Amino acid sequence: MSEMSGAIPIELTVNGRRRALEVAAHHTLLEVLRDDLDLTGTKECCLVGECGACTVRLDGRIVDSCLVLAVEADGGEVTTVEGLAPESRLSRLQGAFLDRGGVQCGFCIPGQVMAADDLLRRNPHPSVPEIQEGLAGNLCRCACYEQITEAVLAAAGEEER
Amino acid sequence: MTAARVGAAPRRVGGDARVSGRQQYVADVHLPDELHAKLVTLPVARARILAIDTSAALAVPGVHLVVTAADLPQPMPRFGPQFEDRPVIAVGETKYHGDPVAAVAADTKDAAEEAARLVRVTYEELPAIVTIAAALDPAAPLVQDPALRPNDPLSGTNVLREHRVGWGDVAAATAELVVENRYTFPMVTHFAIEPHAFMAAPDGEGIAVWSSIQHPNWLQKVIARLLGMPLAKVRVFAPDPGGGFGGKQHTKYEPLVAFMALRAGRPVRLVLTLEETFQAVRRTAAEIRVRTGVRADGTIAFQDIEADYLIGAYADIADRVVGKGSYPGCGPYRVPDARILARSILSHTVPSTAFRGFGNPQVNWAVESNLTEAAIRLGIDPLEIRLRNLARKGEAFIPFDTPCDGTWEQAVRRAAELIGWGMPAPAGRGRGIAVGIKSGPTTGLSYSTVRLLADGSVIVYAGTSDMGQGARTVFAQIAGQELGAPLDAVTVVMGDTAVVPYDQQTSASRSTVLMGNAVLAACRDIQAKLRAMAARLHGIDEAAIVVDRGVVRLPDRELSILDVLRPGLGRLGGELIGNGEMRKDAEPDHPLGGSAAFFEFNCTAVEAEVDEETGDVTLVRYVTVSDVGKAINPLQVRMQDEGAAIQGLGHTLMEHYIFDEAGRIRNLGAIDYRIPTSMDLPLEMHSEIIENEDGPGPYGSKGMSEGALLCVAAAVAGAVRDATGVAIRDLPLTPERVWRALRDRP
Amino acid sequence: MHPFAYARPTSVAEAVALLDEHGPDARILAGGTDLVIRLRDGTVRPSLVVDVKRIPELRPRIDLVGGVLMISAGSVMTDVATDARVRRHFPALVEAAEVVGSVQIRNRATLAGNVCNASPAADTAPPLLVYGAIVVAAGPGGIRRLPLDELFVTSGQTTLARGELVTAIELPVPARRMGATHVRRTRRRGHDLASVTLCCAVDDAGVTRLAYGSVGPRPVLVIDESGVLADPAAPDEAKAAVFEQMFAAARPSPRSMRASPEYRLAMLRVLGARALRTAIARLGEGAA
Repeated sequence: MSEMSGAIPIELTVNGRRRALEVAAHHTLLEVLRDDLDLTGTKECCLVGECGACTVRLDGRIVDSCLVLAVEADGGEVTTVEGLAPESRLSRLQGAFLDRGGVQCGFCIPGQVMAADDLLRRNPHPSVPEIQEGLAGNLCRCACYEQITEAVLAAAGEEER
Repeated sequence: MTAARVGAAPRRVGGDARVSGRQQYVADVHLPDELHAKLVTLPVARARILAIDTSAALAVPGVHLVVTAADLPQPMPRFGPQFEDRPVIAVGETKYHGDPVAAVAADTKDAAEEAARLVRVTYEELPAIVTIAAALDPAAPLVQDPALRPNDPLSGTNVLREHRVGWGDVAAATAELVVENRYTFPMVTHFAIEPHAFMAAPDGEGIAVWSSIQHPNWLQKVIARLLGMPLAKVRVFAPDPGGGFGGKQHTKYEPLVAFMALRAGRPVRLVLTLEETFQAVRRTAAEIRVRTGVRADGTIAFQDIEADYLIGAYADIADRVVGKGSYPGCGPYRVPDARILARSILSHTVPSTAFRGFGNPQVNWAVESNLTEAAIRLGIDPLEIRLRNLARKGEAFIPFDTPCDGTWEQAVRRAAELIGWGMPAPAGRGRGIAVGIKSGPTTGLSYSTVRLLADGSVIVYAGTSDMGQGARTVFAQIAGQELGAPLDAVTVVMGDTAVVPYDQQTSASRSTVLMGNAVLAACRDIQAKLRAMAARLHGIDEAAIVVDRGVVRLPDRELSILDVLRPGLGRLGGELIGNGEMRKDAEPDHPLGGSAAFFEFNCTAVEAEVDEETGDVTLVRYVTVSDVGKAINPLQVRMQDEGAAIQGLGHTLMEHYIFDEAGRIRNLGAIDYRIPTSMDLPLEMHSEIIENEDGPGPYGSKGMSEGALLCVAAAVAGAVRDATGVAIRDLPLTPERVWRALRDRP
Repeated sequence: MHPFAYARPTSVAEAVALLDEHGPDARILAGGTDLVIRLRDGTVRPSLVVDVKRIPELRPRIDLVGGVLMISAGSVMTDVATDARVRRHFPALVEAAEVVGSVQIRNRATLAGNVCNASPAADTAPPLLVYGAIVVAAGPGGIRRLPLDELFVTSGQTTLARGELVTAIELPVPARRMGATHVRRTRRRGHDLASVTLCCAVDDAGVTRLAYGSVGPRPVLVIDESGVLADPAAPDEAKAAVFEQMFAAARPSPRSMRASPEYRLAMLRVLGARALRTAIARLGEGAA
């Protein structure tokens, strides 16, 4: 049958690059990204899908990678924060986060940027409530929320009224 | 080229790395050959340890080490910033839910987790004290071994210490109105998004330790003492923490990890889960009884405050929180007679530690709420009563401490204006206003070294921890301004005790003032050397030369720093090195060990709507105004104030530990411990600052970042009271609590 | 996490066979937003996890055929909430799907998983009950259909037999015009588990359907055919009396951390009344 255990081979595209590796069934996508692929930009915090620090893009949608088993991503396409801007330049959105003071300790920021990037793809001109709702799955204890909202508005080309 | 001007808001130094995921926090650092550690804890609040069987754990493939108290030096080494009461690992007894009894180190995280599950502890559950009432019961078991404080008359009780402050004669004082109430402040946790992380590795004859610590030099001292090594052989790497808020100030599991690394001969890393951080750090909870005497004209006659703070099983820095936090408890007012008694009370709970506000928010909640009640009962406007009593600049409102150091009335009037105080509120809405002060650092010592390199670029060494408040950027702006370097030509080096000179600590909103002044002094040292260089080059008297913000002014012309530096260094090249120091010495006779370097002052005003059927509180408008002296970086100041306010909304509206009858924490983790999300913000938020350049820091700055958290609860509860007529004296103001209070109103 | 074996069947028959063989030692993995949490905290310890997402029939799909909307078991909350037909015919389901966690959660959590998990607080359960959802299950004995109301037993327990899995949820397009809404009580405005979750629908024949969750071991559906609730002119006392009957089955857990039983029961009444007013208003506006 199709029962797999031990080291399970998977193939996935991460930030545009094809990766082939072996993973344990019980390892999450978050663990594999950080520990096996050295992509430490995606962070570990709550591990129960509440804080969003582990947000990545999987097959075109953002997800909490702590709740995805790596095997589930076999054949899939993953984008992490490292893949948002090519060749070490910053995207317009990332620049806006810096310009508007949306970054304090920075630990939640990879997740916030992934969620904001996703929101702007779906809704290029979001209102403030839409931004707040779109990023509600990303906790910030430094509570940079006001500035993050302004950054997203700025990146969308709107100024806050 | 970004301007490095003071007063500008350039992009945060270190910001690029944070938005691109390149920033390395402790958990992102890996060493070859590292072992992964996992803590073993018991599912009870308190237990006598009878036996620990590690054999099954050791048999797991990949496990190298299982450490218990028996594997550590005898007697058990202890540490703690105030009392050396905390064992490196539990010995004989676990004293709170989450107190580790063993630790495993293995090649993989999986092996460590599996082994941790297989450690068999035989224990006897003991009764646990988790409330103030239980701790004060004469029949209560003692949390701390009396032998740890042999000459202390309180050692036979669970009261660790009593702090008494006062002046005048409260017993003899009279007032037309006395308002007496009891308030409670909940037990909450820091919930930094980066869980604490630690790593240690043998380093020659010494050791290297990585930690998310806010006080690297302090940690270095502790490790050196515990391991019996010279300071110079203990290297602490302190990458910028992912949020600290006080919860990463003091040593936690670094000694354990260090012992394990030395035992294993390999690096050992320990990254806590979020649940484990709830069991590692929290704010001190409190019960506060306040008797406020107010005259008919609204002036305060006396304040009589008794604050019982519930600290954890080990003191950490919590007793200092109690003493320092309660000390300015009367608030920023003229109070002729005052008595404050604050007690730190031990319990079988997570050791409480520093948390933004440092003991002040608890008393502020009570005293400001009481003052609002006094106003209401006297028929005086709650804004008016505050203005009437507010200390004026220069007044010694705490008789033996720093006088009022700001024109605080400005912040209050501005906040009132912004909220529309005095104008009728729309139907169904209420307004609240409150003020808060906090003493800045009472002692301090910061060194900085600055190097002006041959091309005019600058390296600043500063031992401050940048945990999000933006210290790096502030120091870069100062150095850039003083030495005429653009921001992208300034590098700030922090977080390595082998390279960066001593900084006492990052706390009490001190770093702009203490380290900032040290950086400034180091820059002035370089400027002096530049003057000498210019004098030599141009044959002019040094006294006739001024170096001001990157420009060297000779009697007859101006030169850029580079125009002096290049010829001055000559063919051998080189650099100019400046050293700076800022020291605030202790005052031995002072109740706190020293007077406040400055006060943080804030006024918060809130307009709220209450859904009386459900108890939901909607913050329609929120205003916060802080007196900051000078904003070196106004954007960062705004971020700190708004961030502090929203963080304060956490304990005001939703955060609290939930215990079961056996003293175990029920709501570990993010699902049942709620903190504010982006959807929990006030509908409108305004923050402003008052800048009178009257602070002791560079360019007249004061420390800030805690002020805006101090009086959040009192302002919100004031608005709720104004909207509904109901006074609520316990936090958090969850919908259920508000609903109950409304339902039970007479 | 404890290790486990992983299977990725590519047909319903294969999945059924695996589940039948392993019984309680196997767990279905769809969205993972409930299961992975339990795997991590050790509250479930299966020896086999069966990932059903590669089964073609279960892939995310919403079809409207013959007056019945079919939502495949792999359809996630985002799919459900953004589908034009769901939005048109089942707006209260959209309201519920939109508050299940965050965007990240909604991109993974399946509608089928939300009901099969049998949490009393499942937000989609009340609207699914009100709209008369039918669960399609495949098992060793073949395919069967059962009303959703017959799926729930108690917290964490359904009537699914060994080897059975849900392949789709079917919603008959309402024959009558309806006004409906979903409301709930949480501890903060940000995403949260509900301490009361409730759906109310009123149709143009004067029938009121109300389903509530998180106030007892399973979601409860009650129907008022007297017309009293649906009548905008009926006095509040008369409605209150009907509500009392409807809420008699509510039995909130005294152990809950989210809210006390007293508060939940009070909020049940507050939300019921508010939801009813909204449902009546929406019916009046000509909402579907």
